[in-house]
Amino acid sequence: MGAMTHESAEADVGSAEPTRWQLAAALFLRWRDGDTRAMDELVRLMTPLLWHVVRAYGLDRALAEDVVQTTWLTLVRRHESITEPQAVSGWLTMVARREAWRVGKLHRRADATETESLELHLPAHESAEDTAATDERSRRLWRAVGRLSERCQRLLRIVAFEERPDYARIAQDLAMPIGSIGPTRQRCLAKLRVLLEGDGEGGYSDGD
Amino acid sequence: METEDFAADAALFARMRAMWQDVDPMPADLVDRMVATVAVEDLTREYALLTLVEASDLSAVRSETDTATLQFSDGATSVLVHVTATEAGTRRIDGWVDATALAIRLSQGEREWSTDPGEHGRFAFDDVPAGVCRLRLVVRGTDGDMRDFQTPQFEV
Repeated sequence: MGAMTHESAEADVGSAEPTRWQLAAALFLRWRDGDTRAMDELVRLMTPLLWHVVRAYGLDRALAEDVVQTTWLTLVRRHESITEPQAVSGWLTMVARREAWRVGKLHRRADATETESLELHLPAHESAEDTAATDERSRRLWRAVGRLSERCQRLLRIVAFEERPDYARIAQDLAMPIGSIGPTRQRCLAKLRVLLEGDGEGGYSDGD
Repeated sequence: METEDFAADAALFARMRAMWQDVDPMPADLVDRMVATVAVEDLTREYALLTLVEASDLSAVRSETDTATLQFSDGATSVLVHVTATEAGTRRIDGWVDATALAIRLSQGEREWSTDPGEHGRFAFDDVPAGVCRLRLVVRGTDGDMRDFQTPQFEV
């Protein structure tokens, strides 16, 4: 007892490869049924996604960690209020986005130097090894994304990491009308493609 | 046509995911720390129990000059606890664990306190009321595995 082994996250959720939200739901239900170790797996499954969703809000890395932690503690403390266990993945990202938005607002008010906008345009790592490790295609994409509006960058990052984005909530967070979020996403994607083509990338749509 | 667009969008989003994972990776130990933080918060969990191997002056901490020392162990991991009285009549608990501590929590009845593990397994709780306590810890052993423990109840 006491060893926190990393069990397989496979769960009986059908023969097709389960999506992340299905895995999350299965783990959450197992935890609610008394399998306390299922929570470890849920945290391992969802923390990377929460990190990227929170960072999309322009929080610095330390604040982003705090928000991810708050999100998990909120789950443990308030899990009884989750009426749809199947939607636990969306519930977690909603809590993370709300908290990131709240913390981001406080932070911006306290810090008028707009470090956020600077940070969003700088890679987190700029050492030679890191740059070398990033392939040219990835760097081209990074440059193109960096030239999009902050709003587009944020929206695309959230959508990229969430499997089933809650458009109503994102719209509210980004202060966009709900009906516009689908078109906004398409507009952001279209701009990105134009920028990629302008940077010498022909077949923008091949993702291999 | 629409299916193709959808596939092209999905491919571009996949590239963006890989790009962000590359340029803005999460801290290497974030997942382990989150697992540990949630584990000590989860009261439904069954923790491995450490046993009390040594105790000095237990329950004899009355003034600022008194110190009680307790040592808990399961044979592999040891936790050392020093209890001192504060001016305000509460207790200060200084602890040390001989493994990398990821999360530590102190409970006393319904009350709970968290503390950030410091360097070399050190941790401290200030201003704890006198009473019966219990520590819960998640550590990473030298083999890299995470283990969670709780101490028996002890009086401070």
